[in-house]
Amino acid sequence: MTDAARPEPSTEERKSQEAELRAVWRTPSGWRYWTSVNNTEIGLWYGGAAFFFRLFAGVLALLVRVQLAVPDNDFLSAETFNQAFTLHGTVMMFLFAVPIFEAVAIFLLPSMLGARELPFPRLSAFGFWSFTLGGVFVCGSIFFGAAPNTGWFMYPPLATDKEYSGIGADIWLLGLSFIEVASIAAAVELIVGIMKCRAPGMRVNMMPLFAWYLLIVAGMILFAFPPLIAGDILFEMERMFDWPFFDAARGGDPLLWQHLFWIFGHPEVYIIFLPAIALMAMIVPTFAQRPIVGYSWIVLAAVGTGFLSFGLWVHHMFTTGLPQISLAFFSAASEAVAIPTGVQIFVFIATMLAGRVIFSVPMLFGAGGLAIFIIGGLTGVMVALVPFDWQAHDTYFIVAHLHYVLIGGMLFPVVAGIYYYYPLLNARKLSDRLGKAAFWLMFVGFNVAFFPMHLAGLRGMPRRVFTYPAGVGWDWFNLISTIGAFVFASGVAVVVIDVLRPKLRQPKGEQNPWNAGTLEWISEPEEKWGVRSIPIITSRYPIWDQPGINDDIKAGRYYLPDAKDGARETLVTSVLDAEPVQCLRVGGTSVLTIVAAFSLGGVFIALTFHWWITTAICAVVTLAAIVAWLWTGTAAIPREEMRDVGLGKTLPLYMSGPQSVGWWAMFITMAGDGTAYASLMFGYFFYWTIHDDFTAGHAGPGMLWPLVAAGLFTLAWLAMLLARWVNGKDRPGLTRLSLLVSLFLTLAAGCSGLAGPYLTGMEPTAHVYPAIVWVVALWTVVHGGVGIVMQLYCLAGSLAGRMDARHDIDLRNVVLYWHFLVVTAVTSFSVLGLFPVLR
Amino acid sequence: MRLIPKEIESLWTLFTAPTIWALHFLVCYITAAIYCAKAGAAPFSFEAMRLALGTVTVAALAGIALSAFLAWRQWGFGSGDPPHDEPTRKDRMLFQGFATLLLSGLSFVAVLFVSVPLVFIGTCQP
Amino acid sequence: MSGCSGVQSALAPAGEEAVAIYRLLLLMVVGGTLIWLAVMGLLLHAARRRSARWTAQEAGRLILFGGVAFPVVVLLALLAYAVWLMPAIRPWFARQATKPEMIEVTGEQFWWRIRYPAGGGMPAFETANEMRLPVGERVTFSLEAADVIHSFWIPALGGKMDMIPGRTNTLSLLPTKTGVFRAPCAEFCGTAHALMAFSVIVMEPADYSAWRRAQTAGNRSGGSEGERLFAHHGCAGCHGIRGLTPPASLGPDLTFFGQRQTVGAGTLANTRENVTRFIRNPAAVKPGAKMPAFDMLPDEDIADIAEYLVALE
Repeated sequence: MTDAARPEPSTEERKSQEAELRAVWRTPSGWRYWTSVNNTEIGLWYGGAAFFFRLFAGVLALLVRVQLAVPDNDFLSAETFNQAFTLHGTVMMFLFAVPIFEAVAIFLLPSMLGARELPFPRLSAFGFWSFTLGGVFVCGSIFFGAAPNTGWFMYPPLATDKEYSGIGADIWLLGLSFIEVASIAAAVELIVGIMKCRAPGMRVNMMPLFAWYLLIVAGMILFAFPPLIAGDILFEMERMFDWPFFDAARGGDPLLWQHLFWIFGHPEVYIIFLPAIALMAMIVPTFAQRPIVGYSWIVLAAVGTGFLSFGLWVHHMFTTGLPQISLAFFSAASEAVAIPTGVQIFVFIATMLAGRVIFSVPMLFGAGGLAIFIIGGLTGVMVALVPFDWQAHDTYFIVAHLHYVLIGGMLFPVVAGIYYYYPLLNARKLSDRLGKAAFWLMFVGFNVAFFPMHLAGLRGMPRRVFTYPAGVGWDWFNLISTIGAFVFASGVAVVVIDVLRPKLRQPKGEQNPWNAGTLEWISEPEEKWGVRSIPIITSRYPIWDQPGINDDIKAGRYYLPDAKDGARETLVTSVLDAEPVQCLRVGGTSVLTIVAAFSLGGVFIALTFHWWITTAICAVVTLAAIVAWLWTGTAAIPREEMRDVGLGKTLPLYMSGPQSVGWWAMFITMAGDGTAYASLMFGYFFYWTIHDDFTAGHAGPGMLWPLVAAGLFTLAWLAMLLARWVNGKDRPGLTRLSLLVSLFLTLAAGCSGLAGPYLTGMEPTAHVYPAIVWVVALWTVVHGGVGIVMQLYCLAGSLAGRMDARHDIDLRNVVLYWHFLVVTAVTSFSVLGLFPVLR
Repeated sequence: MRLIPKEIESLWTLFTAPTIWALHFLVCYITAAIYCAKAGAAPFSFEAMRLALGTVTVAALAGIALSAFLAWRQWGFGSGDPPHDEPTRKDRMLFQGFATLLLSGLSFVAVLFVSVPLVFIGTCQP
Repeated sequence: MSGCSGVQSALAPAGEEAVAIYRLLLLMVVGGTLIWLAVMGLLLHAARRRSARWTAQEAGRLILFGGVAFPVVVLLALLAYAVWLMPAIRPWFARQATKPEMIEVTGEQFWWRIRYPAGGGMPAFETANEMRLPVGERVTFSLEAADVIHSFWIPALGGKMDMIPGRTNTLSLLPTKTGVFRAPCAEFCGTAHALMAFSVIVMEPADYSAWRRAQTAGNRSGGSEGERLFAHHGCAGCHGIRGLTPPASLGPDLTFFGQRQTVGAGTLANTRENVTRFIRNPAAVKPGAKMPAFDMLPDEDIADIAEYLVALE
């Protein structure tokens, strides 16, 4: 694509551009290395930490298997065993399976999309540090005998029984809430990155399939994790303050937790599985040496699975005694989700049939994973049928099924991905011999370990038993499983050795050793700038179809070949056709993200131990760090409005409203927030359905105060709209006045919102009705409080000259927040005030 | 000017059919759950609820069929075969049309699946 | 514990529901195996070096037929069959219906309280950790939990049903074969979850009626030393023995304890030695058991009580 119109930069020019870029994207050295926010470092650390947690959980699994090797064993005590299996499940799901893909995505996506960086690098760093701190906290608990011990789904009332679960349940709830925050942060980052930061020309029909999958997965995280956060809030309120959400004696219901947990828990399986399939969708075309057959089919499968996966949650509750018709709806959706899953498998087979397959270690792991996964999928179809699940539920059959799904559908593709993408780390391949040995150990070991569990389960072995009597018919199965588990573990150990062994004597290989077609294979491991210049994409497999693209990129013949202003920059493009619209400056190296993550971690950890003062101090530090981070890192008014990005194109540096990435991030975050809120309201109506009179005769918040609150919130929102409008007319004085008016209206609204339940003397520990009213009111008022902080931030910005009619990104984002807030407030307070009367 | 423009410049149309599926699913589940939880309080019978949900199902299928038709039109009524990987706005739109058509098909089947219980289950039994 | 490998197995069905599910399982295993073999064959074929490559159109058709059409048809048929099966094997019983056998079972950490209703002119009675059922008659259970969630599951007779605090679930089963079966708690319920099971003895209706009649009467005094010590050491404060002690409901009822298969809700076989071990320190054989240790009692007293209990037939 070197046409004559393109000016050829001279050698000196090129050298100086490279020096500029290198200086801007430099990774700090010494201890400051850890303050880096560059996606390659964050991705690597993230992945390393997740893999470390995975090994830890693997060791726990081996302990569990040793205990179960023979009947009536006393290798572990019942208490230790219960902590071990709970932590095994928790760590594998929350600290490995989900984060590993956030890690891979953060690492790969920018180069795959032809971007320099994701739009919010500091957010990635914040997510990583939150995740690591939370993970260490949760894992470390077992060394103090204080790990959660009620199973990874934490069913109350066992998990609300403080005598049994001790501090372990708090560690689970708070530690994981913290990690969920990190996941949602990653989801925001990935969605905005994929939608807005693709290389010019990379239309939606050109996107690498990995990006399609990650877009869907990030969207799923946004709607799946918040219900669990809502559940965690209810749960922790019960444990800390005795609000009886799950206590049947006071009108609560243990089943509400099961609903909220599984509304999260089932989509999570697909949140784990889809990115692994995404890796396969990158690997298979490379080794078939042809474009994927059925690109649109993959998009269908990803989107379809994303939707259907939200209609499956009750299939974890088939034995709870719900009406058969409810169970059957979920059974039907669970069968339907097998269709898109099957489509993906056939797309891979079709691509292989239409290509010429080169067999290699990544393909070996991919194909082996498929063989395992299909068994898991077929047993999944079986347990999704209600009658069969009545027998199989909570037995070792399910243990076998879920490991076939997760290890075949996720771990094997991940190892395939490690072997495939390792050259991107240091330009060397991993060993073929070790890889094959690892594969066979893992494949054989896995099947020996997990296949007998199907039979043990059908012969009646329940899950989560720390021992079992001899002679019930499980002895041999368990012994074989234990042997298989160790063979499997040895295979994993070979992979670890292969990755960690020093490779300095091994010569550097080619940049693109597998002859892959996608853009990530152009990145150079030793350069931190991502891509030397941002290319124009005209194919799904640019390296195959755009000859010379590698040289053109490296010669700086495309967009943004320089860094004149010393800022980290990447292009923002339009969603559908990827036309360049803005030159975005992203945040650089900063210690603020670490401070914010650690102080937020402090909040959660201090809450676990009920250290209220420490909690308050940490909360203030967190707020200060986040404000400082936003103030120094975002929405700065650039010295010049436009930037020459090369190829004769000038783009604005500052954009606000729906054009800006910040607006998108706010929108997406609030969609997640709205989901958590909807989950709380689901709880409110859930209690209504299960009781004849859900108020149980308790006084409600009355009609007056809730309606006053709804009205005041609406007025405050109108004042915000006014502020945005007058700011657009360049009237800073009036803008500040409207902001102030809105602020005071919000204060008044918050007070009247709480006045309802307070003045009528609603006692949240007495019954679930006052408790749920209080939670809904508090949720809304706290959001009002956050709104006030935002208003203050805008006021400060206006006074500091950071905001005028053209540069109004903060105000626009805050008004967007207020749209969501006013919907929340009006819904909350009308329901609280009117529903008890109208029902 | 058509009522629905032939070329839709948005990613969101892709999600129309699955969204209809989701709404249909929720309506079925919530209606049945509330009906059975409040058994006796409802002024109509289980049969009536089944019929109502059957009607909702037909409406959902019709909605998905409409979305499929619009997608088919955007796809040029199948005039061009995939893969639609040219770097042009036209191919991007054909791709969107084709993907939307496929999703409509999946959603149609999924709605049919979800309606199976309405055929076989006639009470609130646990 | 002796016993063949079928006592707790869904693969050795002895009840209507279990048989229906077993058939469904066989159907799916055969179908699933065939599908797996076919896909694997295709995958291996695709991975081989072949001279003839498929065109994109042919491969696309494979996706349409193999990946879409075939699964849609098979899954729809399977789903319809399973949904049809649900009301067929778990028919509707209104709670108010005057069924003679609505056995109330309550899951408690970590044992089972079982209440037989009045019927056939005989009064209701309570027992624990072992139930007897007549073969060929449908029985309905009313299931509750006293503390945390448990799950009621007799694999040989049918599927499971959770016991949830604050809710009352019902389940009906129809045993079709006589025999002794084991029924574990199927929902994790705390430290001793693994050691919480009950025995189910399915009997001929005549034998069942005889047993039912005997239960009503309760045990008769044998005047043994153990009987005296049982009262003296306060055992009767928690454990009732019909006919001999005032009613007590904190721990499992021990009427006709000697007839039971196990001690400690499926933990140990019911022998004098095991009962002795259990009384001396329940937590040593069943971690988490709520019964306190009685190791402060003289060994001979414990032995006498154990002797007395296993003799309650």
